[in-house]
Amino acid sequence: MAEVTIKVNGAPVSRDVPDAMLLVEFLREELRLTGTHVGCDTSQCGACVVHLDGRAVKSCTTLAAQAYGAEVTTIEGLAAGEELHPMQRAFHENHGLQCGFCTPGMIMTGIDMVRRYRAAGQELDEAAIRHELEGNLCRCTGYHNIVKSIRQAAGEM
Amino acid sequence: MVEGARARVVAGGTDLFPQLGDRLPDGDLVDLGRIRDLNEMGQCPDGWLIGAGTTWSEILRAEMPSGFDGLKAAAREVGSVQIQNRATLVGNICNASPAADGIPPLLTLNAKVILVGPRGTRRMDLPDFLRGPRQTGMRQGEIVAGVLVPRGVCERSAAFRKLGARRYLVISIAMVAAVLRCDAAGRIANARVAVGAASPVARRLPALEAALEGADAAALADPGFVRPEHLAPLAPVSDVRGSAEYRCDAIAELCRRTVLDALSRSPR
Repeated sequence: MAEVTIKVNGAPVSRDVPDAMLLVEFLREELRLTGTHVGCDTSQCGACVVHLDGRAVKSCTTLAAQAYGAEVTTIEGLAAGEELHPMQRAFHENHGLQCGFCTPGMIMTGIDMVRRYRAAGQELDEAAIRHELEGNLCRCTGYHNIVKSIRQAAGEM
Repeated sequence: MVEGARARVVAGGTDLFPQLGDRLPDGDLVDLGRIRDLNEMGQCPDGWLIGAGTTWSEILRAEMPSGFDGLKAAAREVGSVQIQNRATLVGNICNASPAADGIPPLLTLNAKVILVGPRGTRRMDLPDFLRGPRQTGMRQGEIVAGVLVPRGVCERSAAFRKLGARRYLVISIAMVAAVLRCDAAGRIANARVAVGAASPVARRLPALEAALEGADAAALADPGFVRPEHLAPLAPVSDVRGSAEYRCDAIAELCRRTVLDALSRSPR
């Protein structure tokens, strides 16, 4: 067993968990934060994307123990009370989802790319968004509105 | 580790965890990911050092000399952004997959592997370090602290191309890295070309490199420039990703295009 202490969505949590527990299992099963989804479990689909110390990672290929001492943000940590994060609001307004399974990962990836392009002073145009979405699969093939959502949020964040 | 315990060293873990599937690791995992001294990257007296903890994202964002353009292009092709944020270049070479994206660029940069163990620090040339598929020259108790790209190659022009069945999240069918030094007339004075995913370990192509000496963009416009005998060190397999014949054709064309890419980046 490993003692894992992580700051999740701003609040420190500490649990004794099996050594081999993945970060996504820690979030879903220990903390019951089930907004982070498990799609492929092989780091392809991106449904499990969370922010680890501010960067998008796939939580299905990270051990909980590797996140010791780190800060994790999940989809549950984005809204301020009733006030949605601009990326969440943009997905809502542009209908950036069909079944919704990939949406939490899409939103976490979207926020990461907006921040990264802004920090680098680069323009996040449609082509760049489509390129950046390489690590997130939508089986409903609803990419068009996802791209629209991220474009809108990029102007509002 | 030094005393022989079954332990595996990991950095990002992006190769290891999917390989394990539902199984538990058969020993301890030692995570080097957050040892600050191993995260260093930059110029040193002998050249450029890329520490073991350096992620692909950090390589992409770093200001590096032109010789690293191929390595940066490879960094952009590894997995996806979220994987590039975790996975490391040194982990990629230690995993020693025949299809490792980082290896061909490092071969063309004459990279050396820096190993640290109980008996001190030593350096190995990358081709000596790569013993075979998933086999390296690391001894019991050793870790790879980083890779060193010697001075002199850093300022050359470089390119990398990867062929996969689709654009993203793909294991290469073949990949080619090239590093060139050109003369004032735009002719190649010295070429290094390496191919991955086409032999048990990625290989340089000395016969092609020799043929490229003195060649310019006009000579390379000939689609038959890369000849079958240039590819002699390779042994492409037939598998789900492509037949050996297809791979040979694709590699020849990929070599030609990659060298042309590097040539077009060369300062006149």
